[in-house]
Amino acid sequence: MSTEANWDVVVVGAGAGGAAAAYGMCRRGLSVLLLDAGPRFDPATDYPLTQADWEAREFPEKPDSVGKVTFAPGEKLTRQEPLLASGSRGIGPMVTDGVRLMEKYHHVRGIGGTTLHFTGEAHRIHPDAMKMNSRFGVAADWPIDYAELEPYYTQAEELVGVAGPQSQGVRWRSRPFPLPPHPLSYAAKTLGRGAKAVGLDWQANSRAALSQAWNGRPPCNYCGACNNGCPRADKGSADLTFIQAALATGRCEIRPNSPAIRIEASRDRVVAVLVGRADGSIERIASPNLVLACGAVETPRLLLASDGLANESGEVGQNFMDTLFTEVGALHPEPQHGRRGLPNDAISWDFNAPDAIPGVVGGCRFYNGAGESELGGLAAFALRAIPGWGRQHAQSVRSLWGHALHVSAIGERLPNRDSRVDLDPTARDRFGMPLARIASSLGELDVARLRFMAKKSHELLAASGASRVYESYSSWDWFYATHVLGTCRMGNDPGSSVVDAFGCSHRWRNLWIADASVFPSSGGGEAPALTIHALALRTAERIRER
Amino acid sequence: MKRRNVLALLGALALGGTTLLRRAFAPFGQEAEAPAMAAVADTMFPGGDGLPAASALGLHDRVLAMSELKTTITTGIAWLDRYAASRGLAGFAALDEPGRLAALDAAFASNEQGIRSFVLALRLQLGLAYYSDPAVKKAFAYTGPPQPDGFADFQEPPA
Repeated sequence: MSTEANWDVVVVGAGAGGAAAAYGMCRRGLSVLLLDAGPRFDPATDYPLTQADWEAREFPEKPDSVGKVTFAPGEKLTRQEPLLASGSRGIGPMVTDGVRLMEKYHHVRGIGGTTLHFTGEAHRIHPDAMKMNSRFGVAADWPIDYAELEPYYTQAEELVGVAGPQSQGVRWRSRPFPLPPHPLSYAAKTLGRGAKAVGLDWQANSRAALSQAWNGRPPCNYCGACNNGCPRADKGSADLTFIQAALATGRCEIRPNSPAIRIEASRDRVVAVLVGRADGSIERIASPNLVLACGAVETPRLLLASDGLANESGEVGQNFMDTLFTEVGALHPEPQHGRRGLPNDAISWDFNAPDAIPGVVGGCRFYNGAGESELGGLAAFALRAIPGWGRQHAQSVRSLWGHALHVSAIGERLPNRDSRVDLDPTARDRFGMPLARIASSLGELDVARLRFMAKKSHELLAASGASRVYESYSSWDWFYATHVLGTCRMGNDPGSSVVDAFGCSHRWRNLWIADASVFPSSGGGEAPALTIHALALRTAERIRER
Repeated sequence: MKRRNVLALLGALALGGTTLLRRAFAPFGQEAEAPAMAAVADTMFPGGDGLPAASALGLHDRVLAMSELKTTITTGIAWLDRYAASRGLAGFAALDEPGRLAALDAAFASNEQGIRSFVLALRLQLGLAYYSDPAVKKAFAYTGPPQPDGFADFQEPPA
């Protein structure tokens, strides 16, 4: 089947980047066909957080909502890293065979993409973290600076309804956050006293969750379950924000369950995208302009599967950066019940600058990790926090339930040549398209940063009164990525980058990328969604100008 | 249930992970092992102080009905019964509570194939089911579903 070009632009991927790009183009008068490999989700019916077995549920899976990837073998763990080994007192060590566990990256296919599942932190990248090569001799510089991105950050924050504090230091703002910050939870305030004791600033995090009603959406009621999908629709996922706004223009058509499997190109232009259909047939859709926004794993997969399209530099799939994280849980003498409140409600930016960690290039940030610890329910607490069984176990569960505090940290993940996405040589999807294969290897600086993050987390917890550590997890031995970046780096040099400063292929004049694959560096632990939105809005503006 | 709660078992057992509590289990018939399994369940999760014992909730039957655990359970129960027999008793269920706890500790410390993983698997499966049961959760604060009410008291000390 072949479909003529009834749109000005075809966008592949309806997540953080594709949704923002679609909106940005539609509001400027362009017509857009927005494709996604996954289904639609209905917040009212797909996120059953009112049911008694809520703690046994993760973000719901629907047909085609989970893509398949494969992993290259995990690294051998040749050293003892007591602070970084993942596991809990109740369950035991996560890794027992001395090999980094390559488990998963969090990716939702569907209208809204992974923002459906994300916590909803809304961060601007540290300005200095965009100049990692020229300032610090690592990674690559962004071909733009913070000032060029700032107006688009502001646009995105306005549409999403970001709630944040008056100031975030070096992240200067041309306008205040549209909504006031969320109040800190009781557990976050306990951690705040510890942060103060160790000299850390502890402030309200900027969040894509409504602190007041906004654009017809209700405010958050602090249920703590953002990662399971928000049935109230106060979380600023892309389906409820950019896509709604794009649809309101009357110039956006959405097609769920439409995986792109190949791109056709001729001379210096992309001409069509081949899309799989539910019946197994393939539709050829003519594409006057094509925007790829499938994320840092699927975008390079699609390019590589299209005979290496846009890979003139050899950089497609290279420079993969996954989430560098630590998470430490400890018991406080007094009950906290940290599942109450907005996840990640409080944050410390003190070590976020690339030169803030003594002796280690690349920054990090610390935050209240209760919401992302996957410990909200009684059963998980009983099994992870309290070892053993019998009456003594039961007594401990009864006396300590609700006493957990968590401090998490995310840090700069430097790219290296052993971390990449390529095509699996054998595994294919139902349309015969090779699956993406992820390889990840941590460098010395990454491990050093992880050590600092874990050590400081222990200090913060202890200063908060929670010195009985019962679990810790880290990406040192566990690939469990929420943020994946790089693989189609942007830059001014066609020989070392895939797209230019506006996200346009150096070689193909109507091929654009608007997702986290264009990041030349990861930032110092910032959540990437807001930066993806901003870059996509900037790309959309450029496409309209063309 | 979240994946990090079960990862330690994956090397030893082919467990389903996140849907364990919701799956409809097909019984595979281990009636002979039911008394021992009930004893194991109640030793691990004995209740008291207003809480029910695990067997009173029927959790031993639920675990016995998990076909993927059949071999593990058969091997483990046989080991526990041999432990009891070596002390002159008819089987694990005939041990008193200290004796049962000692048997489970010995099984957990055992190097014999499948015995430690048997204890881990039962702790996980019984524990997940026990502490997810409404009759148990109602004895603990803040265990209800997140919605529709959220937590209006999130800034305050727990009630």
